[in-house]
Amino acid sequence: MSLQLVNVSCWHGKMCVVSEVSFHIAAGEHVALVGGNGSGKSTLMRSILGLHRAYHGQILLHGKADVPRADLHDRFRSIAYMPQRQTTGHFPLLVRELLASSRQLAASQLAAERLNVWQLAARPLHTLSGGQLQRVFLARAIGMLAGEAKLLLADEPTAALDFGGQAEIAQVLADLPVATLVITHDRAVMSRCDRVFEMAGGCLREV
Amino acid sequence: MTILTFEQFTELLQLLPVQRAVFAILIASVAMPIVGVFIVGLNIMSVRFAMMHVALLGIAIGLLLGLDPTLCGLVLCALAGAATAPLAGRPAGLSGPHGFLMTMAIAAALFVLSLSGVNANGAFELLWGSILATRNSDVVMIAVISLLVLGLYVWQRRSLGLLLFDREIALCSGVNVERLTLILLVVIALAVAASVRLTGALLVDSITLLPALGARNLGTSLSSCVRWAIVLAVVGNLLGFVLTLFFNQPPGPMLVLTVGGLTLLTYLKHRSP
Ligand SMILES: Nc1ncnc2c1ncn2[C@@H]1O[C@H](COP(=O)(O)OP(=O)(O)O)[C@@H](O)[C@H]1O
Ligand SMILES: [Mg+2]
Repeated sequence: MSLQLVNVSCWHGKMCVVSEVSFHIAAGEHVALVGGNGSGKSTLMRSILGLHRAYHGQILLHGKADVPRADLHDRFRSIAYMPQRQTTGHFPLLVRELLASSRQLAASQLAAERLNVWQLAARPLHTLSGGQLQRVFLARAIGMLAGEAKLLLADEPTAALDFGGQAEIAQVLADLPVATLVITHDRAVMSRCDRVFEMAGGCLREV
Repeated sequence: MTILTFEQFTELLQLLPVQRAVFAILIASVAMPIVGVFIVGLNIMSVRFAMMHVALLGIAIGLLLGLDPTLCGLVLCALAGAATAPLAGRPAGLSGPHGFLMTMAIAAALFVLSLSGVNANGAFELLWGSILATRNSDVVMIAVISLLVLGLYVWQRRSLGLLLFDREIALCSGVNVERLTLILLVVIALAVAASVRLTGALLVDSITLLPALGARNLGTSLSSCVRWAIVLAVVGNLLGFVLTLFFNQPPGPMLVLTVGGLTLLTYLKHRSP
């Protein structure tokens, strides 16, 4: 699945944090998105996903235009997302239940075993460390990609990991055969991507 | 304080109102703690006060129009629950809208009551039932709503677990969050209104909120929280009811104190997510 943005601007209230961004990511292509804190990377990613609705412009998934609000849950199923805010929720949820939310528990389990977190399956999420949590979210995303999802959006997926973990996860991401947009400050991730976009002052340029 | 002998106690159990009360407590203690878990999970404790007063407004409208007051109360609560659903996704939450709803509902209720010339106390009595004065129609009502609650839980357990954990994670998992929130808020509103009618305002907490608060300390997932909440509610309320009869005390305080005591014990097991 390909992803194309045409003149996308995103707003927080009256503040424009992303202005007139356009790009195209082909199927299977991996793109890193870098930029300073507060430059609008997460907002842009959340807009692509449909979590942030205050935007103008066109976001085309596989050439298909924006969906109406009521059909959003279908779009969510076609995108695997790793959030930046590693939420632990306000109500207990088991690791296994989060993995099952990929709708592909077998694939998620396999990924979790490979990422060395399946032994935590019966633990509630709020008892995990930041790095363990990121591995679980990655396993969930890989599960979704084994199902309907054909695009990966990852928001700083290695931020909470140790050096060894960063290289390990960077390689796992690089091996995924789907279009990927990954926000990162991590050289290990960046160096494995096909292209790098940089956000500054709400504008995007390829570097 | 008079204490019954065992013979007097078993005699009491032969009485139809007592049997009806035990039956109603049992049904409510199995289903309503799930509503409590929803309320705790969505962090909307304010929904109780809001819906009690909306139910009062419904009763007042029923009295004015000559319709069944309890039914009017339930319908109005369902509508009010649905009306708050679009606001549920906001970071500020629902406690503001609930406060607004409560104030407006009580004012409107008093206004409508004065229009129809009904004494406000009469309306309050219709709203605040007593478990020992349970009528057959109340048992039917609580049974229907309990089935609704259990059905919703069994049907949507996975999605509910994700929604209560985190709204955005639920969205990203393809859960139809808006629809599920709407259904949830309507069911919560109906359950609160029906429970007030069944047990009185005080007792609502002993079948919904208190068991859920205790379960939150013991459970590690939605399913285990629900199981614990039901256990706490059934054990606490039946025990409380037995104590009520034995010590010949009003049921409200006794049941709340018993379930509340069990809830307090759960805090000994230090674990707060
Ligand atoms: N919920 C919000 N409400 C208002 N402003 C926000 C919100 N989230 C982010 N912002 C602002 O939007 C800008 C971009 O934020 P973000 O997209 O999170 O940046 P990045 O991910 O690049 O660090 C920042 O100035 C931030 O303060
Ligand atoms: Mg960010």
